[in-house]
Amino acid sequence: MAVELKTERKFDTSQFRHYINDWNSVMHCHHYAALYTQLADDAGDLFDGHGLLYAAAEGSIYPVFNNYFSENNITEVDDRVAIIEQLMSFTGMGQLKITNPSSTAGTAEMPQSHVDSGWIKKWGNREKPINSICCGYLAAAFSALHNLPEGSFTVTETQAIVTGADKSIFTITKK
Amino acid sequence: MAIDRQNIIDNLSKIEIRGNNEGLIPAFGVLITQFPTEFWNQFAVRIMNTVSADLREAAWGLLYNAANECGYNTGYGIINSEEWKAVVEPMVEKVPEDILHGAYAVFTAWGWADAEIVELVPNERMVIHAYNYYEADVCPARNNPIVMAPMITGVSSAFMDLAYGKPFPDGFRTFICKQTKGIECGDEFGEFVVTRTDASEDFTFLS
Repeated sequence: MAVELKTERKFDTSQFRHYINDWNSVMHCHHYAALYTQLADDAGDLFDGHGLLYAAAEGSIYPVFNNYFSENNITEVDDRVAIIEQLMSFTGMGQLKITNPSSTAGTAEMPQSHVDSGWIKKWGNREKPINSICCGYLAAAFSALHNLPEGSFTVTETQAIVTGADKSIFTITKK
Repeated sequence: MAIDRQNIIDNLSKIEIRGNNEGLIPAFGVLITQFPTEFWNQFAVRIMNTVSADLREAAWGLLYNAANECGYNTGYGIINSEEWKAVVEPMVEKVPEDILHGAYAVFTAWGWADAEIVELVPNERMVIHAYNYYEADVCPARNNPIVMAPMITGVSSAFMDLAYGKPFPDGFRTFICKQTKGIECGDEFGEFVVTRTDASEDFTFLS
């Protein structure tokens, strides 16, 4: 039986901040995620907006997994995958199912996605995938999953709910 | 003032939220996430570090715009939500001033900032002080050369839009906000000054 994600929530009344386990969390809505994604789109030649979203997600999530696996002595791949899937759901980012998580590649599916749902609520469908945040999340997850340094994997969203598909699909490959 | 700020924070900060069976969190009339503050900060910092100095004003404006539109829509969702009606609405006597004070208590309960209104001239000007906010974490040394709290800045003008602008959704961008102090820059608190857009010629965020 897969392990269950443990979450200890605390609202620090001296700082007025929320903590989940050891990391500072904050509530934001689908407008914010959608608008940040649109910002990445609109950046055009100014900067690589989607690359920065991806990097920010990867950089901020990698230590969350590393610390959790270490502090809770989660060493088996199946258990780590269960934690990665459950944390995605816990944070409200969507429903995640990882398949074939080898040390060189993997795939993941999201039947539900906060980013895609938020975008559709605001602006409807679009032609191209947009979920750079979950690409970064998965990149961090796969590196932590295999005890590799951050940045060891590349993630591409190959199918997206926002385009009208019934689920989003991601391919993960080792660099 | 009828608004019991501490009561609102105590009530709304304890709401136990987690994704439902679909991994989504519908609440306050919107879909919520509870992601690390570090993610939102890293994105903003990476943008500001990527663009050249002459484009920082424009980049800061993009971050502000995202928060501004988010604050307008989410703020409207908050003040029309069941959670608001249960906890805050019974305290509201003076409209829209009490609603604004209540909204900043919710703002604090959500973990955005320990922020409150310190000056309010109805339909003209509002000053917010924030004594602790996650955006300040972009510079632990507290010597950032520019202010870096576009989220609080954008949401603050949006709240004034909701309070004194035309009825939703036509009042958007009636007001604009400038961050004038920042903990990330070494100041004791963050300061945010909201004014009417039509009285803010030659407005800039960073100078």
